[in-house]
Amino acid sequence: MKLVVVSAGLSVPSSTRLLGDRLANATVERASADVQVVELRDLAVEIAHNFTTGFPGPALGAALDAVASADGLIVVTPVFSASYSGLFKSFFDVLDPDALTGKPVLVAATGGSARHSLVLEHALRPLFAYLRAVVVPTGVYAASEDWGAEGLVERIDRAAGELAGLMTGLSAGRAASASGSVSVPTQGGAELVRGGGFEVVPFEQQLAALRPD
Amino acid sequence: MQFGIFSVGDVTPDPTTGRAPSEHERIKAMVAIAQKAEEVGLDVFATGEHHNPPFVPSSPTTMLGWIAARTENLILSTSTTLITTNDPVKIAEDFAMLQHLADGRVDLMMGRGNTGPVYPWFGQDIRQGINLAVENYALLYRLWREDVVDWEGKFRSPLQSFTSTPRPLDGVPPFVWHGSIRSPEIAEQAAYYGDGFFHNNIFWPADHTKRMVELYRSRYAHYGHGTAEQAIVGLGGQVFMRRNSQDAVREFRPYFDNAPVYGHGPSLEDFTEQTPLTVGSPEQVIEKTLGFREYAGDYQRQLFLVDHAGLPLKSVLEQIDMLGEEVVPVLREEFAKRRPAGVPEAPTHAARVATAAAADSRSGSGAGAGAGVDKEGASS
Repeated sequence: MKLVVVSAGLSVPSSTRLLGDRLANATVERASADVQVVELRDLAVEIAHNFTTGFPGPALGAALDAVASADGLIVVTPVFSASYSGLFKSFFDVLDPDALTGKPVLVAATGGSARHSLVLEHALRPLFAYLRAVVVPTGVYAASEDWGAEGLVERIDRAAGELAGLMTGLSAGRAASASGSVSVPTQGGAELVRGGGFEVVPFEQQLAALRPD
Repeated sequence: MQFGIFSVGDVTPDPTTGRAPSEHERIKAMVAIAQKAEEVGLDVFATGEHHNPPFVPSSPTTMLGWIAARTENLILSTSTTLITTNDPVKIAEDFAMLQHLADGRVDLMMGRGNTGPVYPWFGQDIRQGINLAVENYALLYRLWREDVVDWEGKFRSPLQSFTSTPRPLDGVPPFVWHGSIRSPEIAEQAAYYGDGFFHNNIFWPADHTKRMVELYRSRYAHYGHGTAEQAIVGLGGQVFMRRNSQDAVREFRPYFDNAPVYGHGPSLEDFTEQTPLTVGSPEQVIEKTLGFREYAGDYQRQLFLVDHAGLPLKSVLEQIDMLGEEVVPVLREEFAKRRPAGVPEAPTHAARVATAAAADSRSGSGAGAGAGVDKEGASS
């Protein structure tokens, strides 16, 4: 399995990245997975260019592919103006809107004060609900003071356990369906055909759908 | 292999002088560009279609008719014709008329357009973009092939006993390319009809173009029009050339840096690396263009965008001179050398008339070429 961490931390070293790494380690202790970290600060310029050119540069393209093909995702952002950072949102804006459908996602954030902790529930969770991801029940928020306090380790463990459980369960489900007969995906009853990595509805069916009854 | 130029018809200020041409100047420049293309021996001139500033070409058949009267050999085409918001009946009639006046030197490229408000301006709904392209072309296809059409659809008033006039020249409709950048449905549509597929790759990385062309080729074979290698593919490209590549880069950079389509984004160098844009010597253009076949296969039509980003007419005409004198002759020879037997040439009216006549004599029907072809029956 493949676990991808998307970190929107801006400084080096970054407490956002640190939280992402802690969550990833706790997850792979429970479910064996290869971990890949995507640092958005390295992709900032390509993300901006993607908005104006309509296509990702090479490094951003590789990061988007990694996210789309992950079995599970940990997303971590610093809090900016009571929400996720613009860079964090921009990355998910250039991601294919279907890329996260059904994918388990652990949401996490860092901030200077515990007063922002509900950012997970009022900003991150709706974003990933919109993207049809499966967001684990426990989100992890770490204020500066949490790094020297009790409770953070327990929250990390609980969230990681939930993510590992979903990743394992979903991958078991995929293995079961793969061992059975090959099911052809359908869309509104139409069989899809493949070519060049695309899936399209055969033309007769596109045309037939437009014929008057 | 056909080579030509395609224009978007943008009115863009020249960033080195700040001066924008008037619409009148720009329209006259476009036809001068077409005449230059004929003069230097290019095969195709194609004009875009737009209904909003800063673009001027709202009326392609008017412009192409003017050019037809002043040229002998040039194929007149579009890049694109809006199959979504134009009435397919009017497209059928306009292009059949042009085809007669131009003695068959006409084909066209269907597209959906990229300006959202055009749909409501012409009474259509952008959410139906693909459906409009599917239904309108299905009607256009019949109007050119059946003398009398009864028709009913979702997007247009029904037709009873309708004959589109004039009938296509020699009974053979203009060849159609379906242009799309990102919609696999359009590649599928082109494959279904056995029409051409034009991927306007100018702002896109090669791997995306490769995938779209692969889809079209595999579906073309699926529908029984020939092998995947025989499918009819066209590609775009954009170039700026000087003898010395440093001069080309120096001269083009301010245009690139300020162009509405490129400016203030990735650098000229990054964009050149990631897309078909070539800024350099004629040799570099030859080398890069020959590379297209490595991911798109042996293809039939290459169109270059040369008159954009506010470049003055003089520079554009110099580009076309270089294309005609130095680039295209080499490309013709090199592409021909590499093309395997069995990969067809680009379609022309004369060749299509000959094919239709041969098919008629085999079937012994003697009916007008291409008339009464039942596409649905043929492919089921």
